[in-house]
Amino acid sequence: MTIVPKRLGVKFNLKQTPKTQPADIVPIFQRWIQEHRVEGMLIDVIDYKHVPDGPGIVLIADEADYAYDFGYGEAGLHYVRKRDLPADFAAALKLVFHCALLGAQALEAEAPEDLIFDYSSVKINFLDRMNYRNEPAVFDEIEEALRAVLSDIYGAAVGLSRVHDDPRRLFAARAIASPDAIDLEDIGARLHESRQLV
Amino acid sequence: MTSWKELLNDKIPAEMGNLIDTYEAQMELRKQGKLDEKVFAEARLRKGVYGQRYDNGQRHDGVRTRDLLYPSDEVVKGPDTLWDAPGMQRIKIPYGGMTAEQLEALSDLADEYSDGILHITTRQDIQLHYVHIDDTPDLMRRLAAVGITTQEACGNSVRNITACTLAGVCHDEVFDVSPYADAMTQFLLGHDDVQDFGRKFKVAFSGCAGHACGLVKMHDLGLLAQTREIDGETVRGFTVFVGGGLGTVPHQAKVLADFCTEEQLLPLTQAIARVFARLGEKKNRNRARLKFLVAKLGIDEFRKLVREELEIVPADPRHTDYIDRVSDFVNAPAKAGMALNGAALPDGFAEWYRSNVYKQVQPGYSTITLNTPLGDFTSEQGFALADIAREYVGDNIRLSVEQNVVLRWVADADLPAIYRDLCAIGLGDANAGTIVDITTCPGTDTCKLGIASSRGLTAELRARLIERINLLPDAVRDLKIKVSGCFNSCGQHHVADIGFFGNSRRSGNHKMPHFQVVLGGQWQENAGSYGLACGAVPAKCVPDVLEALTERYVAERAEDENFQAWVKELGRKEIKAMLQPFTKLPSFEEAPNYFSDWGDSRVYTIDDIGVGECAGEVVSLFSMEISKAESTHFEALLALDDGDYTLADENAYKAMVLAARALVRTKYLDVGDDYSNIVDEFRSRFYDTELIYDRFAKGKFARYLFKRHAEAPARIDQDYAHQIIDETQLFIENVHTAEQRINGVIVG
Repeated sequence: MTIVPKRLGVKFNLKQTPKTQPADIVPIFQRWIQEHRVEGMLIDVIDYKHVPDGPGIVLIADEADYAYDFGYGEAGLHYVRKRDLPADFAAALKLVFHCALLGAQALEAEAPEDLIFDYSSVKINFLDRMNYRNEPAVFDEIEEALRAVLSDIYGAAVGLSRVHDDPRRLFAARAIASPDAIDLEDIGARLHESRQLV
Repeated sequence: MTSWKELLNDKIPAEMGNLIDTYEAQMELRKQGKLDEKVFAEARLRKGVYGQRYDNGQRHDGVRTRDLLYPSDEVVKGPDTLWDAPGMQRIKIPYGGMTAEQLEALSDLADEYSDGILHITTRQDIQLHYVHIDDTPDLMRRLAAVGITTQEACGNSVRNITACTLAGVCHDEVFDVSPYADAMTQFLLGHDDVQDFGRKFKVAFSGCAGHACGLVKMHDLGLLAQTREIDGETVRGFTVFVGGGLGTVPHQAKVLADFCTEEQLLPLTQAIARVFARLGEKKNRNRARLKFLVAKLGIDEFRKLVREELEIVPADPRHTDYIDRVSDFVNAPAKAGMALNGAALPDGFAEWYRSNVYKQVQPGYSTITLNTPLGDFTSEQGFALADIAREYVGDNIRLSVEQNVVLRWVADADLPAIYRDLCAIGLGDANAGTIVDITTCPGTDTCKLGIASSRGLTAELRARLIERINLLPDAVRDLKIKVSGCFNSCGQHHVADIGFFGNSRRSGNHKMPHFQVVLGGQWQENAGSYGLACGAVPAKCVPDVLEALTERYVAERAEDENFQAWVKELGRKEIKAMLQPFTKLPSFEEAPNYFSDWGDSRVYTIDDIGVGECAGEVVSLFSMEISKAESTHFEALLALDDGDYTLADENAYKAMVLAARALVRTKYLDVGDDYSNIVDEFRSRFYDTELIYDRFAKGKFARYLFKRHAEAPARIDQDYAHQIIDETQLFIENVHTAEQRINGVIVG
């Protein structure tokens, strides 16, 4: 059985460099707290835009963080689930994927012409060095399970690779689906349904 | 599935491991409601586990105050502090010195337990924010495995001992104070005589009088390196300052001793600690710092008391053992020193060299400062920095009180290459130590006491100043700015040329974030003098105020007149007049942006201010010590459940001894750790006198301890383990009752 990591993150990158500045995201996230725009027990917004290639602007929640993130020089929406992950790996990944998707779509809706995410490529971060050392063997062990869940999510085959070679970095995998095969409504519906089942 | 505890068992020193296990047991007891919340709060603070803003379960979202419905909303980790609310983990880095391996471990933890950011504090600590308390034991184990402790990082204890980042490489120092700071850290950590303070106790070392260095004059205890000729020999020692401090009521430290030798350093410190523990304020924490005791007694009386105490400080080989190791202290390069050889220099190098590079006293080497914005860097930068350190300087990494990373022992020939590497990871900014390099506390971002956004203001000032830095005259460029989110001075605004601290004012029916302007503080000469508060201005006016001040300074200053002298010359009345135009408050309708803080779109409120934990909880020494007995008893129970009856017996016995020790220390502080000595003292003071006697059982429970101490069990099985654990529980209850009867109080 595939171990559920202590923390699990999913990041969608932006397709292009946006005109929207990181500082513009602060009021958006603060309004999200007022309006409960995304799920979770939303607590606060923290601004790290002064740090190069950092977590950017982070919406802190009790069980998860939503970050307008610049890690590794890639701007995107990074959702990190910190607690209350289902005990089953597939269910956990689907939950995190779904929350990240909803978060990215919510952000896209704030500036539809500018903040456009590439949903065909997703980075999955395993924030758990105890159970997921960043080694090729770990990727080999998890590849099949990961591919099965992601293919299920996308409704299509996905390419899968380990992201970082440096063993000190967090273990992360990138999945790429054919952009033609992506139907976000279908993906959302499938994920919603799977969460209902859980 | 394995655990960090199992995985790192061989790498964690036993004593550190035991302390973490005890803390974890205390967490469990608190969750079960079996440990008083104040006692647990102080125990947690002494592990560096600190509360954060909104941990009382409420946050104003700009429209109204909303309840934050944390899952374990019935469980608290301190008064009004909810268990599941994110907190801050402070990590002590003595004198700011760390290795590449430690930096990597810290980066791991930032990734896995925090938000990927490592924050450098004004005491050379690292802080991780948004940490869940349940993660803290493993976090501590992973630190312990690389030689870092969080023990006594917060609470009423000896905080991280600081020292100048140039110690050992400085042109002007008397000698390298690093090994002394290291020795004092080791000596005071967990020492019995520093467990009963009414407030925190801050220590700093400085190698010279002239520079800012260790800022010894703003510390509870400041040690300034000196040498004396004694019997024809040059002897090392320190001028000893006591009773300094910033906070709401800043005090300049006073000289306790012109010179104490290195042999006297630790016993004298111990004597100071004992006087502070005995006579310092315990109930009113606003008056509990050493500075108030020194002011109340007067330095002469305080000195007399310390001298008397010094006479009765028990002999301890550790007082002088460390001296032999001073010369072994590693202060050496990883590579051979080489001069810059005329190679092509990268763009921006000259500017960076001017502000960020310090030529060491050792020829061919430099110390470089990494201008770390707001004291923050990412875990990814941490890993890359560890690589850079290994390549160029080895483990010669330090953190500065100006919230920067410092690399020492860079061979001069490597400067262009290291500059290129630092630029590649976003840490090659010039202007370290200039007006751009602003010090700031966390303020309203995460601190419960924050009134205004010190980080928001700092980020704004920094961004504006960077744009203009090349246009600024040197006199302005070299000014120091320091910002605090409230009057408590964690951003050290008193010792800056220009300081700001947050407060609020009312305009109509709304509150408006303000900053008090503090001018003319002195960073040099070890925080030689404190600035004067000159008036509060709206937060949104601060950039304009800064511009007005600096322009006038440049226009009016006499040749070579520094900022302090200019402020003094100008006078408070004139400064007030200069600030006057900025103090006119617009209405909400006229300028709504004035009613939001920097970096915050919410309409400003002070409703989120909570009760700070800086002061720790006022908890008696007995309460703290008996809680250790209780958690050790709990560990015995866990061992029993695991079927490890030998460990259950060991822990039960230890818990009884700790309970006895807790009671003995209410009468005899120097009882020490030796089991036999503790039992003997307990017997003579409480058993023979019948003070421990229960009304009905008389001395029965105490005899459980005597029996186990006299003889280890011949056979340990489940029944035996069960029995001794029950006996231990009864003995601990007996001690509690006796202490209440004898001293009349448990929690202060």
